[in-house]
Amino acid sequence: MRTTSENELDALRTAIEQIHPLDAQEMFALLAIWRPLEVKRKVMLIAAGEQASHIYLVQKGLQRVYYLDEHGREATLVFTYAPSFGGIIDSFLLQTPSRYYYETLTPSAFLMASFDELDRLMLRYPAIERMIRLGTTATLGGLLERLVEIQAFSSEEKFRALLKRSPHILQLVPHKYLANYLGIDATNFSKLLNRIRI
Amino acid sequence: MKKYSPQQWIEPLVETVEAHLVRATEVYQNLSETQLNTPPAEGGWSVAQCLEHLNSYGDYYLPATREALRSVASTSNPQSTYQSGWLGRYFTNMMKPENTKKYKAFKGHIPATQLDGAAVVARFIEQQEEWLHLLGEITTVAQMNVRVPISISPLIRLKLGDTLSFVIAHNSRHVQQADRLLAVSLEQV
Repeated sequence: MRTTSENELDALRTAIEQIHPLDAQEMFALLAIWRPLEVKRKVMLIAAGEQASHIYLVQKGLQRVYYLDEHGREATLVFTYAPSFGGIIDSFLLQTPSRYYYETLTPSAFLMASFDELDRLMLRYPAIERMIRLGTTATLGGLLERLVEIQAFSSEEKFRALLKRSPHILQLVPHKYLANYLGIDATNFSKLLNRIRI
Repeated sequence: MKKYSPQQWIEPLVETVEAHLVRATEVYQNLSETQLNTPPAEGGWSVAQCLEHLNSYGDYYLPATREALRSVASTSNPQSTYQSGWLGRYFTNMMKPENTKKYKAFKGHIPATQLDGAAVVARFIEQQEEWLHLLGEITTVAQMNVRVPISISPLIRLKLGDTLSFVIAHNSRHVQQADRLLAVSLEQV
């Protein structure tokens, strides 16, 4: 198996420091638990019913967390892309079965760390636990913001907000996933696309 | 005749489907209805028609492939290499984009002239994702040796391995046709 390169570790260190600074020993301990993973498009990393055993740092590609109901309807909840963390946060941190799926939507590369190893470090180093708490809280803030968009925005406002936040996303991912993420149907999405860009 | 492990046969096909998905995601799905539906000045198919033609093949070969894979017993003999059949090679070579000879589309595979372009592209993407999924399920020579009837005649049956090469080479042919058309029309803008 390939080992983690220095460049990859540097990206990881930056991602960690953006959440909370760590001293050299804490950082060293935390960097040591990650290993690289490369997968193709449409690969399921975590399935509903499984316990999310790993957290991911996205290096390349685009992924989604989605819910699948008993009628086969999907609800795309979250997209992840570099240089953010990805996975199923509640299942991972609580070690309970996931209600959601985490899959790649394009060929992807990650660094991944297991819950067991991260948990060991959190128990030992308060600063690492604090870093995880702050990171989780930032994620929670992002989710609340997304709830506002879903409940209070019109289709057109949601579409515009998405393009403002991620201008290149229209070329990165099949539009059906974007439409699903915004909660609008595919026909409506292509109408907005034709109307708003021109 | 050259022998292949399942992985050696499948991997290039996966890469080709991935390349088609990248084109569709980066370019086709972002074209306007006019760009999708305008045929070349000298006659021929629009981008939407090229893709719709491919969709009509997917509509037949995706379920046929699923059916073929279901029919393989899981405890099959552990043959380790795959050899294509002559007919499969013949059809695949006929379809490869390098072969510039033109063929007339068969009945049942002729696209309408005015199409819902966005829906056609969406269906094309859906189908390519499904091909990736099915290609990922193929790990044994027994699976690759199951026979699949071709779309235009139930009397001719190709090995699944050959069927996949044929369908994906055919996809490349018309993706390249669509790209040639776009290269011209983008110059004119």
